Amino acid sequence: MATRRFIIEPRGLASWRLKLLVPVLSVIAALVVGAVFLGITGENPFEVYAKMVDSAFGSARGFSETLISATPLILTGVAAAVAFKMLVWNIGGEGQFIMGAVFAAGIAIWLGDGVPAVVALPAVVIAGGLGGAVWASIAAIPRVYLGTNEIITTLMLNFIALSFMNFLIFGSSSPWRDPAVSTFPTGRPIPDAARLPEFFNRLDVGIFIAMALAVAAWFLIGKTGWGFAVRIVGDSAESARYGGIKVARKVLGIFLLSGAFAGFAGGLFVSGPVGALDPRSLDLGLGFTGIIVAALAGLHLIVIIPVAVLMGALNNAGPALQSIGVPTATVTMLQGAILIFVVAGEFFIANRIRRPEPEKAPEFEEVVA
Amino acid sequence: MNESILMLTVVAAIGLGTPLIFATIGEIITERAGILNLGVQGMMLVGAVSGFWATFTTESLALGVIVAVIAGAAFSAIHAFTSITLRVSQIVSGLALTIFGIGLASFLGRVGSDPLVGNPSKKVFEPILTGGIAEWPIVGPLIFGHDILVYASWLVAGLASYYLFHTRMGLSLRAVGEDPASAESAGVNVSRVRYIHVIIGGALAGLGGAYFSLVLVPTWQDDPIGAAGWIAIALVILASWRPGRAVFAAYLFGAAERIQFTLQTLGEPWSNIPSTLLSMLPFVLAIIAMILLTSGKRARFLGAPAALAIPYFREQR
Repeated sequence: MATRRFIIEPRGLASWRLKLLVPVLSVIAALVVGAVFLGITGENPFEVYAKMVDSAFGSARGFSETLISATPLILTGVAAAVAFKMLVWNIGGEGQFIMGAVFAAGIAIWLGDGVPAVVALPAVVIAGGLGGAVWASIAAIPRVYLGTNEIITTLMLNFIALSFMNFLIFGSSSPWRDPAVSTFPTGRPIPDAARLPEFFNRLDVGIFIAMALAVAAWFLIGKTGWGFAVRIVGDSAESARYGGIKVARKVLGIFLLSGAFAGFAGGLFVSGPVGALDPRSLDLGLGFTGIIVAALAGLHLIVIIPVAVLMGALNNAGPALQSIGVPTATVTMLQGAILIFVVAGEFFIANRIRRPEPEKAPEFEEVVA
Repeated sequence: MNESILMLTVVAAIGLGTPLIFATIGEIITERAGILNLGVQGMMLVGAVSGFWATFTTESLALGVIVAVIAGAAFSAIHAFTSITLRVSQIVSGLALTIFGIGLASFLGRVGSDPLVGNPSKKVFEPILTGGIAEWPIVGPLIFGHDILVYASWLVAGLASYYLFHTRMGLSLRAVGEDPASAESAGVNVSRVRYIHVIIGGALAGLGGAYFSLVLVPTWQDDPIGAAGWIAIALVILASWRPGRAVFAAYLFGAAERIQFTLQTLGEPWSNIPSTLLSMLPFVLAIIAMILLTSGKRARFLGAPAALAIPYFREQR
């Protein structure tokens, strides 16, 4: 056998230091890649990054905008994390987000002005979750009962949801469309009672609702009997079935829960900063960014909260870059690079690399499990 | 339906289907090696922007195509490294590639004091084999009068089909996608075969992207390819992992994309159907095809590689 320079072997449990180091290094590596591209194309990367930090964290106003951007990302992050943990590949956060927004705006408009906020606000949030779950069910039911691969169905449902939202606003005179504007169609503003109260600049209470929902998801998955069963299914569907757990129902449940969280994000976004079903403000790729948040957080439902703030800061910094003549897409590029490095870093969490030991005493070679 | 309108639709479907043929066959070759690459959208966009840039700078279409192919191949090598060498989640890695590609293409098109965005391509592929033969009834417009890349796509389909099913290399490739451990014991270098074919897949996706920026939408904009990369991934299943069928699947989806314009020309009541609803059609088709074709064990009978998206650990044999 040829001697190898390195031996790669699976490691059992990675230390928390390593689990922290990998995402931190991933972000740094992505910034380096971004700097290379910025440098090649004649921009000064330090100036660009300084501008980004400044616009996201440099002022109270900037920071409140960052938290506004982070709010939906906490929820789409949880949506991706709960599904991916269970190896349910729900890539449809985008579409579920949009349908959450459609349902939330719909219920707000239907309830109208005469309803107090104590009724309207919960209705809007619940409707958002319901919209996301309903949309997820179109992929979840075939996955669970027919064995249809969910990757492509959820992806395709993203585009259908986007077309549907465009249809409601641009292609029809639906109740979602603002009848007062005829030149360039936009969404009908939802009643004030259904708007989340703002408490600091434009920042609304949605951030607290999102954090509370993330904690609730963490509790549900980590601390309840249902969550325990779900985790067993995630580890091994075979042993779960052997242990008498109804696997199909658990997978369906987690899929719908995932959809509901993406839907919550859409609902909070509509009743928070946007205030109408406005396709231009909602088609931001927040569902996809949620996947980055989830991966960077190591699928940990609480860690998602600070990571979402970081991603929100990046999203929020995009428009500021335009003012110094740098493309907004720098942000998307950095986010994609972060995800590439995070996923590559999984290798170092899962495996240990070491030098081979000298081959002098093979009879005492230890077998590493 | 008016015959000339039908003909126009079919000819347009060939144009719209061509980038899908390249990308779909690229993904078929990748998946046949057992690697799922969800980065098609990103690879196509990188091909589109680099091909456009090369043609814009050199005024050479050939260089545009070559650069797009190299860019797509280089970009796919990232996914090859993460999924073959590092053996991490192919699904997340592919998505990462797509997000990075979307950002990179838009960035490269907008960066600098004199950006590409909004500029028309200095050259575009023109139809060849025009004139008399192209006016023969039915056959003429179907076969003649396309640009050279349409013929290239037919050639790619034929070559890929021959390669997969009638050559030794093709056999090794399929063996690697079906049962890498057995292939390895038969003397096939699994990693090398996987690397090569992921990169070929990326090259074809890059070419498909360039078809958008040099033929279909020859003015640079942030996102000239729509959802073509995602559709290509769905088409792999509709084509049941066979390059020949990919051609017809791609044209079917080309027609589905074209249908809104066709209905416009047909007049009332067809033209009253909102285009926002019609734009859903390709995606609805894809979902129905997915449910009908891949439910239960049907995907295996269709030809889905058994080891698709499963990392291969040589040491664990």
